[in-house]
Amino acid sequence: MRRSLDAAGEDDLVRRTAAGDRGAFDELYRRTSPWLLARLRRRCADEDVVADVMQETYLAVWRAAGTFAGSATSGSGVGWLWTIAAHRLVDAFRRRARQNQLPAVALTETVAPAAEDEVMAARVGQELEHALLVLPPEARQVLQAMVLDGFSVRETSLLLGVPENTVKSRARRARLALREALS
Amino acid sequence: MTTHPNPAVIARYADPAAELDEVTVWSVEVHLEGCAHCRALVAGSTADDTRSLLARVAAGLDDGIAAGPAPVRRPRWSAARHRWVVWHLMPWLTMTVAVLACAVLLQALAPGLPSLVALLAPVAPLPGVAIAWSRRHDPAWELIAGTPAAGLTMLLRRTAGVLAVVVPALALASTRTGTSMALTLLPCLAFTAATIALGGFVGVRLAAIGLGAVWALAVIAPAVATAELPAVLRAGSSPGWALLTLTLAGLAVLRADNFRRLSSHN
Amino acid sequence: MMRTVSADETAPTTHPWAVHAQELRVRAGRHLAVDGLDLALGTGVHGLLGPNGAGKTTLMRALATVVKPAGGRLTLLGEAVDGRADLRRVRRGLGYLPQQFGFYPRFTVREFVEYMAWLKEMPKSAVPGAVQRAIDRVGLTAKAGARMKTLSGGMLRRAGIAQAIVNDPAVLLLDEPTVGLDPEQRLDFRELLRDLGVDSCVLVSTHLVEDVVVACTDVVLINEGRLVYQGTPDDLMTQGGQGDAGDSPAERGYSALLRRHRAEAGR
Repeated sequence: MRRSLDAAGEDDLVRRTAAGDRGAFDELYRRTSPWLLARLRRRCADEDVVADVMQETYLAVWRAAGTFAGSATSGSGVGWLWTIAAHRLVDAFRRRARQNQLPAVALTETVAPAAEDEVMAARVGQELEHALLVLPPEARQVLQAMVLDGFSVRETSLLLGVPENTVKSRARRARLALREALS
Repeated sequence: MTTHPNPAVIARYADPAAELDEVTVWSVEVHLEGCAHCRALVAGSTADDTRSLLARVAAGLDDGIAAGPAPVRRPRWSAARHRWVVWHLMPWLTMTVAVLACAVLLQALAPGLPSLVALLAPVAPLPGVAIAWSRRHDPAWELIAGTPAAGLTMLLRRTAGVLAVVVPALALASTRTGTSMALTLLPCLAFTAATIALGGFVGVRLAAIGLGAVWALAVIAPAVATAELPAVLRAGSSPGWALLTLTLAGLAVLRADNFRRLSSHN
Repeated sequence: MMRTVSADETAPTTHPWAVHAQELRVRAGRHLAVDGLDLALGTGVHGLLGPNGAGKTTLMRALATVVKPAGGRLTLLGEAVDGRADLRRVRRGLGYLPQQFGFYPRFTVREFVEYMAWLKEMPKSAVPGAVQRAIDRVGLTAKAGARMKTLSGGMLRRAGIAQAIVNDPAVLLLDEPTVGLDPEQRLDFRELLRDLGVDSCVLVSTHLVEDVVVACTDVVLINEGRLVYQGTPDDLMTQGGQGDAGDSPAERGYSALLRRHRAEAGR
């Protein structure tokens, strides 16, 4: 049993979780939680919020795995995990927004890639990376939220604490700048 | 994505205190989502506080799982079944099939009569189509009417469900009584298309009632009175029916917009 | 897994109101239940108050694009809603809980919400997560696998709310959502309402003035199909005097406004 769990991919683990296999679920947690935690931490600096979102996400995975595994076009299990976490993160922001205490967004200072990072492989694509560098930081932030994280305009606006129309105009600007840089 | 990021970069990514420029974060995240090997590296480079946080969440999960319901494995076809089978249609479809069975029986008892199956074929799908998407008969109408899928999509989907029952039943009835298959199925399809095309203007229910009444008065009644099969159902008229079906289906598609709009009928 | 962001999605929002009705008239049967109503709603939770027969439910149905207005103008999310429009786009951004809703009794809660998510044309991959989230948000987690016909009135109501919010609607219409909820569930529901109002336009019809005061940012009072009053709950409370009927400042404000409106109409 142990061996077969080790060999199983994440998608397989989700399928087994759907059948109520607690071992598979724990293995899924063991493998994916450090990654999810790191990713959430880069978006929200409040540890308690992150911990809550993590817990809600994995509980949702446990409960909804059946539907996910049963749908004909189940995409990647890891991508699914992120989608759930992303929406729950926005929910946490919503809760805070109405109590007027937004959790601090982990805003990385825009530093140029350090020398050792330059040699990093697995790029989004060399040109795209350069194009991203020339974007103003706020436009890049919007692009990250919408394209990489899959948030909607409304969710992005909540997450970054700027009005929807500002999100939209930044996204449009980013689009134009990217098109120019890539051509 | 064939090459992996430098493990040192991944370690810096996993450490929330470490500085990493956004562009690198971006490409690391894209990579991590698709690469189990590098996700394992993230897991390997966790600090103590991270491990304690993960353990805390895990303990919370234990409680949550113990308190809540277990995952429900869904039967394989349940989604498709819920989307295509409409339960409130069942009694009507049962009735349609029963009427056809009676027609077959009657035909066997009184072979002198004109083919009842052929006479009934055009109107057989009408009751089902009429109530497939109707305010009066669908209990969830109010909920569904405000969704983007309401309208033509919904009507066509449910009509397909009706035809999936009626067409095989008619085919069986026609082989049993020796009636021409083409002259049974083509009029059935033609009337279905006509109901939808006309329904775009006056509502499907009214269209079905109107067409059914016209057929009963103009064709069924004289045929029963004279005990003779009318000209429109005799051999040789099937090309005409095929043409009619195509024309009406085309017309229904052209009028598709009517169903997407708000309307007071249906 | 990067998402494609369409140009459509980032087109600037030009409409100032999520819901905008001008001189709106809607028939309920032969009776003109909404008769010349002007209403503009933005982001937030709006409580819709009014006596029985004021036209609340008919207004809700018109806003939900279930019935066709008999006259006037209605714009939802910047798009005109009338007999000529293709409504699919607008409807994707709507959530609606009817006052009474039928359902297919054999469905489980999860299947019901999932079916509605599918009808709302949500992306397939988003459905399982969104369904679980909606069920969690209304507090039906433990009942997700129960068949609809086995649910109590309050649970049915909550299942109805779950289907309304499953697509994260920009405009959410809830017709008497608190009917059948016990006091504790009502408190939870108010919390949910406040969360929802942060970034969407929520219109809640109710006959409980207290619900509106506690959970809404804005009060809309209609009578005989017309707008009587629109203002904040605090302002509503200042409208009433000692002589007006009611056990709380808000109730007294409510009856004072109605009394004045009736007196004006009677003149």
